[in-house]
Amino acid sequence: MTAPARAAVEATVWQVVGSILPAVPREQIRGDKHPRELGADSVDRVEIVMTLLDQLRIDRPLSDFNDLRDLDHLVTVLLASERN
Amino acid sequence: MPYGIEALNVYAGLACISVPAMFAGRGLDQDRIPNIAMSQRSVGLPFEDPVTNAVNAARPLLDRLDEQARGAVEVLITSTESGLDLSKSVASYVHEYLGLSRNCRLLEVKQACYGATCALQLAAGFLAQSATPGAKALVIATDVALVDERAGYAESATGHGASALLIGDEPTVLALDGGAYGCYSYDVLDSARPTPEFDIADGDRSLFAYLDCLAGSFADYQDRVDNADILSSFQHLALHTPFGGLVRAAHRMLLRPFGLSAPQVESDFARRVAPSLVYPALTGNLCSGSLYLALASVLENSADLDGSASQRIGLFSYGSGCSSEFFSGIIDSRSVAAVRSMGIGDQLASRRELDFAQYLDLLPHSLKALVPRQHAEVELGRWSEYLDADRSLLVHTRTKDYHRAYEWHGPLGSP
Repeated sequence: MTAPARAAVEATVWQVVGSILPAVPREQIRGDKHPRELGADSVDRVEIVMTLLDQLRIDRPLSDFNDLRDLDHLVTVLLASERN
Repeated sequence: MPYGIEALNVYAGLACISVPAMFAGRGLDQDRIPNIAMSQRSVGLPFEDPVTNAVNAARPLLDRLDEQARGAVEVLITSTESGLDLSKSVASYVHEYLGLSRNCRLLEVKQACYGATCALQLAAGFLAQSATPGAKALVIATDVALVDERAGYAESATGHGASALLIGDEPTVLALDGGAYGCYSYDVLDSARPTPEFDIADGDRSLFAYLDCLAGSFADYQDRVDNADILSSFQHLALHTPFGGLVRAAHRMLLRPFGLSAPQVESDFARRVAPSLVYPALTGNLCSGSLYLALASVLENSADLDGSASQRIGLFSYGSGCSSEFFSGIIDSRSVAAVRSMGIGDQLASRRELDFAQYLDLLPHSLKALVPRQHAEVELGRWSEYLDADRSLLVHTRTKDYHRAYEWHGPLGSP
């Protein structure tokens, strides 16, 4: 994994989370936060993952994202999916 | 010869509570109600259980049959994740209290919220090879809620009731498209009922499994049906509805490959999907009966169907655990008339609305509905205010040596 690639995916994750949770201040969207901690309900969390797969053109089952620990982990899973 | 649903009825109990009242009572975030997309949920009463729900859904269908047609019911299948015994089936009680022929074949199936759809397909297959002209099957999806504050937001989305389907070769309500189906299943523990007293659920795992199954079962459908696509092949869609917000997300997922604008997606949702959510938004999740409540909702609430020619509907059934099927069929204005005549909307409107304190009073009884007891008496007098003297309903009255006993309340008596 290269640093620029991770930075690009992080930027997309932060942008998508911000768009689906517009009431959350940008500074609160951090890698150590789970979307649930930011106020995302189950439908919001589905929408975050589906939108990211769409924007990053990743074709993976949603169940690959069952056990997310936080946004950093989400970035890691997306990067692993991109490589596959 | 086409097979499918000749008649459809839903019984969703005698009591309900508003979702805002549930949220207020539990101190939940009211801002989440739009994503749940529900306004009420049905609540079980102490004299109701999977048997009474099933019988009370099916009897109005059977009462409309003449003696010969009634005798042609050769198969009874109950679909439930609310079984009363590990051996004796709910179907055996239902068979007795519906007064069906002793030559009728009985079966209970368990496949979470997918069970009734598999039972429908099995029943159609049985009828196709039956030697009896006009043979019919009765499939009844019946369940009760076992949720309290431990279920979090899911408590407000869990329903109580049954959907009854009369299956035969005069499929007025839904003519199945023969051979047009797709399945997708794998092992996951997303939600389950490990004991007769509570449910467990992993929200994200269940929603992701539902959506993966929708994608997988529709892909399998496309492999079997030439040129099928989700945007143009179906004038209507009805999906298993744990809560309306998930169906909305599922519709967005299905349309993503088409690159539509947000207003185009919203317009398509309003036209092809929203009518299916009207009744589920009033009951909560009826488990494997949910899809057939959604079908009834389409037929009674879609403006496109009155006086129209035949139209195709795509249906998706999902059961936790997990298993799923996407299939399709034909509906028309006769389907609308057949379902409208059952008065499902009126029955939903006639439920008694509880406040949160009344709901809490009932909850300990609801949570024990499936617990095996050697002997028990139901205090019917305590709850009689919920029973209408003009409406014939089966009620659970007692249990003796683990054998449940029921009585008919109302003017009609036994069928």
